[in-house]
Amino acid sequence: MHSFFVWLEATTLSAWIRESTSILAFPAILSLHTIGMGFAAGISAAIDLRILGVAPSVPLLELKRFLPVMWAGFWVNAVSGVLLLIAYPTKAFTNPVFYVKLSFIALALLGVRSMGLSVFADAGLDFNPPPRKCRLLAIASLVCWAGAITAGRLLAYTYSHLTSSQ
Amino acid sequence: MYTLQLWIYHTFRAMKWAIPFMTSKWGWPFCETVHFLGLSLLIGTIGMFDLRLLGMGKRIPIAALHKLILWGVSGYVLALLTGIMFLATEPDQYIFNSAFQWKIVFMAAAGVNMATFYFAVFRRRETELSAKLIAALSLFLWIGVIVFGRMLTFFRPADCGSDPAAFISTCIPLR
Repeated sequence: MHSFFVWLEATTLSAWIRESTSILAFPAILSLHTIGMGFAAGISAAIDLRILGVAPSVPLLELKRFLPVMWAGFWVNAVSGVLLLIAYPTKAFTNPVFYVKLSFIALALLGVRSMGLSVFADAGLDFNPPPRKCRLLAIASLVCWAGAITAGRLLAYTYSHLTSSQ
Repeated sequence: MYTLQLWIYHTFRAMKWAIPFMTSKWGWPFCETVHFLGLSLLIGTIGMFDLRLLGMGKRIPIAALHKLILWGVSGYVLALLTGIMFLATEPDQYIFNSAFQWKIVFMAAAGVNMATFYFAVFRRRETELSAKLIAALSLFLWIGVIVFGRMLTFFRPADCGSDPAAFISTCIPLR
């Protein structure tokens, strides 16, 4: 694994993201990662809140129109996240918190998918209080997104090696 | 302008009670996390409302969706309170930081934009062009606030004479 980090960090792309003084390098990628986070976690959380009873007069099924925005946010973050990973592979892969973050994101996305299969597939749920199962799913989704954001934030404070040479 | 900046600097510098917590091991990371949770709540609910005004999810009544805004405001308050904690701890790193100054300009513009919406547009017909312009502006401004927030690290001011650590830095004659 170490030799892989050494090789990756030596690539032009990795060095450019890490060392370039261009605003389009690290600063822009980091900004995109934060905007994507806002839309992915935020839209998902707004849908969860509606399932849990906030704004009950919003037709629940219609909220699925916003799911593409949530997925757009996710893909912006998948791409920007991979770029950040290319810049600092050692920093992320040697930190257990990084795997916690990925697990929370995986669980949150599974939640969004199963919501698509259960909540948004049931026409009876438009205005009626969602069943217990859906509400538990919404709570789990909120916990997972909050967990992913927390773990992501803590990456800046918990890493042990910034690059392979350290 | 510089006098105003110094006054703001001293106002935050006086909030010494924040420093022991913020310089403890998990104080700063905790506030950063809450700041980002608040940001997501704000973008998720206010962003969703803006997109609705722009025509997404047309079958959702605007007044119904508006009930989510309270959660966006809660997110804003979380981000604001934790933001004050950052400023109380390192005021010079923000007050003399051009990215921070732009962030504040964008936040103020978002506030004026929101006030315009409530006073002029919300009570009248919602689908008219002015509502769409305000919604588009709201999305642009809040995304700008995020971007300038992220830029803070790269525009950190340095003391005059010292070697600037950040790659785009200004020099402040503060101490």
